[in-house]
This record gives sequence, C-alpha cells and structure tokens, in this order.
Amino acid sequence: MRKRAISFCMAAIMAAGLLSGCSSQTESGNTAVSETKEEVTTSAAPVAAETSGNTQKTSITFWHSMGGVNGKAIDALVEKFNKENTSGITVEAQYQGSYDDAINKLKSAQIGNMGADLVQIYDIGTRFMIDSGWVVPMQQLIDEDKWDLSQVEPNIAAYYTVNGTLYSMPFNSSTPILYYNKDIFKKAGIKEVPDSLPGIERVGDDLLKKGGAGEVISLGIYGWFFEQFTCKQQANYADSGNGREAAATAVDFDKNGAGVKTLTAWKELSTKGYAPNVGRGGDAGLADFSSGKSAMTLGSTASLKQILNDVNGKFEVGTAYFPKVSDEDKGGVSIGGGSLWALNNNDANKQKAVWEFVKFLVSPESQAYWNSQTGYFPITTAAHNEPVFKDNIAKFPQFQTAIDQLHDSTPQSAGALLSVFPEARQTVETEIENMINNNGTPEDAVKKMADSINKSIADYNLLNK
Amino acid sequence: MNYKLVTRKLSPYGYIAPAMAIFAIFLFFPFFKTIYLSLFKTNKMGQAKLFVGAGNYSELLSSASFFNSLFVTVVFVLIVVSVSMLLGLITAVLCNQSFPGIRIFSTAYALPMAIASSSAAMIFKIMLHPAIGIVNKILGLHINWISDPRYALICVALLTAWLNSGINFLYFSAGLSNIDEVIYERASVDGANSFQKFFRLTLPGLSPILFYTLVVNIIQAFQSFGQVKVLTMGGPGESTNLIVYSIYRDAFFNYRFGSAAAQSVILFVIIMVLTLCMFRLEKKGVHY
Repeated sequence: MRKRAISFCMAAIMAAGLLSGCSSQTESGNTAVSETKEEVTTSAAPVAAETSGNTQKTSITFWHSMGGVNGKAIDALVEKFNKENTSGITVEAQYQGSYDDAINKLKSAQIGNMGADLVQIYDIGTRFMIDSGWVVPMQQLIDEDKWDLSQVEPNIAAYYTVNGTLYSMPFNSSTPILYYNKDIFKKAGIKEVPDSLPGIERVGDDLLKKGGAGEVISLGIYGWFFEQFTCKQQANYADSGNGREAAATAVDFDKNGAGVKTLTAWKELSTKGYAPNVGRGGDAGLADFSSGKSAMTLGSTASLKQILNDVNGKFEVGTAYFPKVSDEDKGGVSIGGGSLWALNNNDANKQKAVWEFVKFLVSPESQAYWNSQTGYFPITTAAHNEPVFKDNIAKFPQFQTAIDQLHDSTPQSAGALLSVFPEARQTVETEIENMINNNGTPEDAVKKMADSINKSIADYNLLNK
Repeated sequence: MNYKLVTRKLSPYGYIAPAMAIFAIFLFFPFFKTIYLSLFKTNKMGQAKLFVGAGNYSELLSSASFFNSLFVTVVFVLIVVSVSMLLGLITAVLCNQSFPGIRIFSTAYALPMAIASSSAAMIFKIMLHPAIGIVNKILGLHINWISDPRYALICVALLTAWLNSGINFLYFSAGLSNIDEVIYERASVDGANSFQKFFRLTLPGLSPILFYTLVVNIIQAFQSFGQVKVLTMGGPGESTNLIVYSIYRDAFFNYRFGSAAAQSVILFVIIMVLTLCMFRLEKKGVHY
C-alpha cells in the first residue's frame, strides 16, 4: 500500500513538472496585464510639448529584431547617432529575437516602467499595436516638430496610416518580387519574363525541357504571398475596408472570390509539377533557386543581397514584378517589413529623444546606408539622391525592379490590417499546404481558412472590447 | 516537556519548508493557475476575461485538430521511445567490453546527450534540405524530407530518438556494470550461449534501469519541442503538430491561454495515467 502511495506521488510530481513547465510563462504574461491597465488609460493624454525640454544626457532603449547582416547595420547606425548627436542622447539598441519574439516580449514587458522606448514591430502587428493603447502615434511627434511627412514614400506611409494618422514610422520596408535565372531563360529561348501565374505555367515546359531547369518555380508556402496575390487582384483580405476603417469582423477573401482564384492558379502550378512543394515560409524557396535548380522563385526584396551572395556569380540573377493571379489583374503590391513604434512612457525628454533618433534613422543618409547594407527600401524619396544609394543601384541593378514596382503600386493596395494576423497567416499556410499535399480543392481550402480565421476574429473582438 | 514535544513535532516541517516553498512557487502555484486559466477565455494579453467553465475542454474534444495532435504525439512517442531505447541498449552492450579505442566509441555514443535539441535540429534542417542537403546527395534521392507529410514526422522522431539515445546509453552502461561478472562465468560453465546470456541474464539484470529509462523516455518524448519548432513548425499541414508545440502555438502565438491551459491539463492527465500504469507494470516485470 505504501509503495503504491509513493509511486502515485512520484507519478504526480513528474507529470506536474511537465504541466507547470508549460504554464510558468503564462504567469508573466498574465501579471503583465493587470498592471498595464493604468498605462492604457493615460496613454491617450497628449504629452505636453515642452519647448524648453532638456534632452541633456537622456538615454533611450530601442528594441529591434534585426539579426545577422541587418543587425550589424542597425548597430552601426546607432553607434553613429550616439557619437554624432549634440543633444546628449544615448540609444541602447537591444536585439529581441524574431519579430514574433519581440512583440510577445513587449506584451510581457508592459509592467510599470516599460522595457523600451522605441520598438520595431512587423507589419502584421500594426493593428495590435494601435489597439494596445501603449503607443504615441508617430503623427503626433511629426506634427509637434512640423516635420515634412511628404518625404516618406506615399505607398509605404499608406500602410501605417489609419484614419489619416501615421501610427508608426516605416523603417525597414520590403515588397515581394520574382527572381529568375537569366541563364536558364536564355537557354530556353524565353524573351519575356512571365508576369502572371498562368504566364509561368505557359513557359513551364520550355524551362524544364529546353532550359534544363530542375524546377520551374520554387514557390514557398508563405502567407504573405497569399496576401499579395489578393492585393494584386485589388480585392480585400478582410472586411471593414480591409480592417482600415474599423476593426475587421471577418475575412473577405472567401466572399470576393480572390482566395479561390489564387489557390486555383497555385494548385494548377503544383499539380502540373511546375511548383513542387518546397516547404513553408518566405525563405523556403530560396535555396533551390540559389543552387540553380529552380528557374524562378518568389521572395522579399530584402533577400536580394543574400541571394546574390549565395549564387556567387554561378548564373545571372534577374528580377521582375511579383506575378499577377490572372492576366487581367491590375492591382499592386503592399509592403511588408517593420516600422518603429514610440511607446508612451510619460517622459517628455525621452519622447523628444526618441523622435530625434527616429528622424536620424529615416534621414536620407541613414536610409541610403540602410538600403545598401540590407536590401530594404529607402523609405524617403530623398535617399535616391545619396551617392551611397546611386552606387548601390549601379552595382545591383536588380534592385531597381523593387523600386519601380513600389512606385507602380498605389496607396489603395496598402494591404489589410488584422488583429489576429500572425495567426491568420499560419492558418493560410497550413491550409495551402494541406491542399497541395492532400490534393484538396481550392474552394474547400478557402472555406477552412475563412472559418478558422473568422472564429479567431470573433473571439478576439469579443474578448478585447 | 510539553515544549520539547511541540518542537519535536514541528521541526520536521521546518526541514521540508524550503523545498516546499520552491515547489509551491514553481510547481503548485503554476499548476493550479493553469487549471484556473483553462476555465477561462483570455484576452490578447493572456488575462482571464470570460468564464467558460468546461468550454475550452469541450471545444478541444470536438476539434479534429486536437485529436490529430494527440494521434501524432502518440505515434511520435512510440517511435522515439522504442528507437532511442534500442539504440541506447545496443550501444551500451557493444561498449560493455574492453578493446582498444573503447573510449572513443563510448564518447561518440554518449555525445547526443550534450547536443541541444534546437541546434541539432538546425543542422538536420540543412542536412535534410531537398536541394542542397547531404542526405539526398548521399542517397541519390530527391525527397523533400521535412515538407512531405509522409516523412516529416519520422524525420523529427528519428532525430529526437538519436538525441535521447545518449542519456540512455549512459543509464544502460551504468546498469550493465552493476551486473555481477560471476554469473556470466557460471553461465558459461553451464554451457549457455551469448543469446541465452543476454536474454536470461543481461535483460533481467537491467530491468530496474530499463523501467526507469522507459518512464523518463516517455515523459521526455511527450515534451519534445525544440526539434519541432525549428524543423517543421508543426507542418506540413499539421502532420508534426505535437501537443506541446500546439500548446506553445496557442499560448504564445495566438495568445489563447485558456485553450493552451486546457491542453496542458489534458496532457497532464494522459501522462499521469500512463505513469501510473507503468508503475503497476513494474510489479510484474521488474526484478530488483
């Protein structure tokens, strides 16, 4: 009997260890909330523009999600600012892991004195940040300083503008483009680069047989691409004006038919063997392309540097616009990437320092440097006149495609805002993957996506009134 | 006299107080908080907002995705536990003799223990890459190992099994050195061949440690996370969506702590029942 009792206890403790392991972090997230309420109520109060504001020896914390080469570029910019600014501002840049990690840490860190003064948040976190009530809209800082907002590329600013207010300062923006292997295209005798998914289908056989490509297109299963295909069709992803007029209550791509059209074309490429399943995520297709196996791939402009490095002169890399879903589509692309959010810390000095730093980061000089180091767009048009930028374009003419594509787009293609976007993107990817692997129908996949995302939206709206 | 009696009665509690305090903070409190959270729906901050009672549970029990997670987890655990124990046992038996270079072999077999699961997964991700990975190059195949639902789970499971085999090797080696050499000599005198020796002497001699490793392995396999996060993110589709990964996704990605907490509780019950069953089994099969 005693032995049984002991064994029961052992079993219980072993299993309890497992359970608590899973929940211990829940705690930190949870306690964070109860104390942030005060923050939320005060955040709307405008911060008095202290003209006599003394910025002597102010230090601010900047959270970012740029690792690798991009992280080095950020560090260089921060160092330059710390050295050169005359107002005694010190910026401490802290790498917070991926975009997902950063926003999750932010949620937990909003206790009392917050962790950061300026955070870099990804595009799809925009609605969440606006709703959170923790931020000082960038527009407010701009207006106080009478800074000229027209310096910023209008198509980029449009994404972060809701109800006429620019909430965050775009910083690292990118769009997706089509990369293609010029050598294979030449060998296959194809002069015109396809500009639509059916177009890719038409040249598929030539690329495989005459061009000697192993794959026609290495198309990673990435939710962002699905969103862009929706933009290309000038259709809305979500209702309430793509979630821009008010919080969306449901997705729209199932009702306006854009989802089915996209997936039908996608599946067509897949079943004909032109777009084999190369996996999930934005980078999934890049390795096949860089190794010379696939003739085309879709990827972010921010991957250009990486691709050119990996290809290393084995073949010539060409770039073209992101493909349309059908030949008649007239829409543009929306931007992705990150933007800078000023958090409300009720400290006028810090706020001023944050604004000084943001101004520095988006200055033409910094943006030209940033662009040359990373492949993100310069977000200010004036950066195009900087010698660094001109040299870079001369060296990598492929980048011009990205800029032209952005200019050809319109603010109307700004893309959707959705509070549950990170989850929605995962759902979309899962269903596309299921459709391709299990040979499901596009209609079915779109219905499953819509059902699942709508349920999340309904839950979210119910719980976060 | 009375005072002495009181201190005598109380002092044991004083001794266990520090341990209990740590347990209370890091085990019991989160444990009960998890159960509490599982009865609520949480807002975007993970704050309990709407009491739904058993709503999260009934939602889970009617969700195909959750049952898929359970099924995938069971298959995964079966593969991982059997392969990793077999690997550990074979390597331990092989290394139980002395020959030149034995240290190199035993180090190699124990090495997986020292590798972090995420870093191993990153290396395997490159090795298993369809276009540039070494596995396809060597085998001359064109299989997309981690994007094909037929192979993804097996790949993740075998990687985990290999990672877990290191510690099993260590346990089994220790267990083997505990078996008295004399009984083998006696068996030889009686004319037993090596198969008989293995099944009649080695295995029964190892049974206590076998039992312990089995329990630990099962729990460890249920908790595998890093490999899935790095290699497959639960995909393709949901074919590697192990329950712990699904909990992570719900909690820290979708910020639905209620549902995640409910899944944790269900996982807790499953492991608890399994462990109890095994302790039952212990009485029959284990000889001390």
